Amino acid sequence: MWVGTPIIFSGLALGSFYALMALGFSLILSVARVFNLAHGEMILLSGYLAFVLWQFFQAPFFWLLPICSLALLALTLPLHYLLRRLPEPYGLNSLMVTLGLALLLQSLLLAWFSADYRLMRLDWPAVAIPGLDFSFLSFQGLLIILALAVTAGVHLVLQRTFLGKALRATIQDREAAQVAGINVNQMGLVAFGLGGLLIGLAGPLFAQNMYLYPAAGTEATMIAIVVTIFAGLGRTRNILLGGWLLGLTQSVAVFTMGSKWRELVSAALLLLLLYFRPEGLSLKKER
Amino acid sequence: MRFPKPLPAAAGVLLLVLWPLIFPDAAHIQQVLGITCLYATLALAWNLYALTGAISLGHAAFFGLGAYASALLNHYYHWSPLLTIPLGALAAVVFAVFWAMGFRRLRGVYLGLASLAALEIPKTIVDNWDRFTYGSMGIMGLDRLPSATLGGLQVDLGMDLQAQYYLLLGIMLLAVLLNLKSIRSRWGWTLRAIRENETAAAALGIASNRERAKALLLSSYLAGLAGALYAHILGLVEPGLVFNLHLSVLPLVFCIFGGSTKVWGPVLGAFILYPLEQLCLLPLFPMGHSAVYGLVIILTIFFFPQGIAAWLPRAPKSA
Amino acid sequence: MQRIRSRPGPRARLTVWLLAALLCWANQPLSAAQEIRLGEIDPLSGPLAKHGQEIHQGILYAVEEANARGGVAGHPVKLLSRDDQSKPDVAVNQAQDLIFRGKVAGLVGGYVDSLVGPISQQAARHRVPYVASASLQQAFTGNKNPFFFRVSCLEGIVQPLCQFLSQTLKTKRVALLHAATPGATEFSDLVQADLHRRDIATVLQEKFRPGWPDFSVFLLKVPAARAETLISGGFYGDNLILVRQLRQRPLGLKAFIAPWGVAYQSFIDEVGQAGEGLFGACAWSPGITQPGTEKESQELVAGFRKKFGKDPNTTTMHGYTSARALLAALETVLQEGAKPTGEAVSRALAKLDLNLPMERLAFDAHGDPRHYQQVIVQIQKQRLVVVYPPERATGQVDFSLAAR
Repeated sequence: MWVGTPIIFSGLALGSFYALMALGFSLILSVARVFNLAHGEMILLSGYLAFVLWQFFQAPFFWLLPICSLALLALTLPLHYLLRRLPEPYGLNSLMVTLGLALLLQSLLLAWFSADYRLMRLDWPAVAIPGLDFSFLSFQGLLIILALAVTAGVHLVLQRTFLGKALRATIQDREAAQVAGINVNQMGLVAFGLGGLLIGLAGPLFAQNMYLYPAAGTEATMIAIVVTIFAGLGRTRNILLGGWLLGLTQSVAVFTMGSKWRELVSAALLLLLLYFRPEGLSLKKER
Repeated sequence: MRFPKPLPAAAGVLLLVLWPLIFPDAAHIQQVLGITCLYATLALAWNLYALTGAISLGHAAFFGLGAYASALLNHYYHWSPLLTIPLGALAAVVFAVFWAMGFRRLRGVYLGLASLAALEIPKTIVDNWDRFTYGSMGIMGLDRLPSATLGGLQVDLGMDLQAQYYLLLGIMLLAVLLNLKSIRSRWGWTLRAIRENETAAAALGIASNRERAKALLLSSYLAGLAGALYAHILGLVEPGLVFNLHLSVLPLVFCIFGGSTKVWGPVLGAFILYPLEQLCLLPLFPMGHSAVYGLVIILTIFFFPQGIAAWLPRAPKSA
Repeated sequence: MQRIRSRPGPRARLTVWLLAALLCWANQPLSAAQEIRLGEIDPLSGPLAKHGQEIHQGILYAVEEANARGGVAGHPVKLLSRDDQSKPDVAVNQAQDLIFRGKVAGLVGGYVDSLVGPISQQAARHRVPYVASASLQQAFTGNKNPFFFRVSCLEGIVQPLCQFLSQTLKTKRVALLHAATPGATEFSDLVQADLHRRDIATVLQEKFRPGWPDFSVFLLKVPAARAETLISGGFYGDNLILVRQLRQRPLGLKAFIAPWGVAYQSFIDEVGQAGEGLFGACAWSPGITQPGTEKESQELVAGFRKKFGKDPNTTTMHGYTSARALLAALETVLQEGAKPTGEAVSRALAKLDLNLPMERLAFDAHGDPRHYQQVIVQIQKQRLVVVYPPERATGQVDFSLAAR
């Protein structure tokens, strides 16, 4: 087995994980212009919900995904209405409100679930590829497949539906979309709805890929921010590519240079990208 | 552009100067307010750069570089902190030069992210360069702020909390003065012009990149100064401590919370939030203080929504 | 959307008055009585909340135990807990507040050395004794600080670990993975040096930043370096992931040993079968206690279970032990009829010699514990079995189970 195969696979799985975490954040940021700093905590909430369902109701994993996905709508939709009532300057104020919300949610999680680390212990069978002398864990395969499927789904919605067209118009130029008769507030609602579904989906995946503890939200938010802007605002396909690029780079860096250089390599990659393409990975400029 | 009415500001400063004389034994409050002044200085430093419209998320890099440079000079050469602190802050400026060169073309959200990524560079290098910086172990046993003689009076800045408070207050007021001067001067108008509409500013002959860079260098020096002071007040540095993300977010929070009054905004934010948390919330709610803190932020934004709106460019950009 | 006019004037004025009122309120002492107050500073929120809460519970239990017996020489004990948010400036602020406003007779707690250091300096400056629950690094007890004591130290982990590797496991090549924190880094340095003296080579050594969820690429390098044993200087959460990933891709290792995070019943419960055969280190566990303290240990477990609904673990015990030390010293001073000043209590601490479940507690001239030695345990059939040192062993090493 070529040593590169598990590294590449690991990188792709990690990258898919990153992309799935970032999609909801990206959508909310691009359409509604809300820098949701409570993103990580919302993923955690969904993760804890999955944990509770798994532990007390023995719910199978594949049921957890849609349940948690829908459950987060109960959080993101009211959040949209809350943020809509904010006066100017909208961008910075929504950032602060979501920051406050993040602190609040973290405290609630600490109170409800205590600081103990929670693990969802599920057995994922190993899948062997007949040709190559390589086997991987089916969960990693699930991450990759899900990331592809979800990205394809979001892409289809954005490109092939009328709603998607309206969303894209709002992303590109809010004022012009408004002039064209699109109700940008409603688009914000849609974004929060779709975003909520995506965040809810990321929850059980986070719980399974890592472990749950109340302070884990910050990491998740950071990943989402990095991948989103890496990919460029409003470019959903690029999020998957960006996530993969980041995941692969990190895996290769850990293998060749050692774990302690991982963050620097990702940062360097990001900076190089921003230096040569100041607007992210987008192949064409937004305006 | 609104200027703060001089009376409340003067009253506030007077209060800050006089209260330790009314409560000379309140060492714990002197400690907290001293650190508040330090953080307010960091916020003011950040503010200076934000005048150009740039929302930086990487100021912890300058803070940390100032802290480490001062710590290393003190550790290896045993120079007095009075010397290493101003010198150490220069390390931050050096990094700012690279920043200015590399981030020339970046604006808005992308600049914010680049600054966030840039934080990793000094952090990881300091963390991994074991032989020089002691890596993850950090450096302990740094010299305290030394005694100084002021006109016949011996003042121990390290041990005497009251003296330390006045020093930090003084530095903060210097930062305030610097900000005031920057805003009210011709240069301040230049920065505002860049913030409002860069193309128009260019048409007026303003070299926006150069002016931005100047603001950044000044901002980085102040931030580095705050970091170096922090290191010598605590007596130790560690990569995870001084290059921490929360130090990057702190100025943002204080400035937005503090209000639209440009110079006093960060000071207000710092003096409301930090002592509130340290003197009220932590003692009263050992377990639930961050929930209360979060609620305070949310409610305040709803009732006092004026953030640093004046800092952002008015014309919506693609970013 | 209403555009609210900003009026910095009135708001600024309001703030100034509020701040003034706050200052006056903050200067009031907390109510005094003939009670004795202890101050505790721990990370009660944030990434280290799990450990901080456990230490907190240990301390709380010790205080309540003392109060149930009528207090310290008849004086009730009150515990003032503060969250340090894992930030040293907050730790210092809270230490000051506890000393000045809370008028505490002693400080206890602490999980991270970068916080313990500044607190110990405050303790020295204001002459208040401080017994740290989980400080490890060597540099602290270098300067003689007569007010600083701690119940744990790194040597008590490194020595048994290296002896076990050399004498019992008889391994020759180790891989070492540790977190990028000062404590774990110092641990790594000490272990490498000690192993080197015993002719054991560290063939792979890597440092990672805590919070990273994926070690699979690192694990690929371990067999390539032909390491026999993997030492993990990571914490509870990191080990959860490492163990799971080791299970997925066996590396042909002789053993996996982790001084932090493995020797917990909750860890065993979380990882299940995947944990069988793993080695860990602990200072105490229900059933693993200092010889001569079995009864006390059992009572403690029962009482703790009744109060908190869960079992205590080694981290809890560090908190408990540090609180017990302070309480015992206070008792000594008060029983003599003296005032519990900082100097008196510190002198009493220096002369302490208690046989507690976690260790025989006595401090040397630097404030370090004289007899702190952790034991090496192996997870066998979902239970912790002591395998080293031989005089405390409750079972044999199962080599086949240990292989990964």
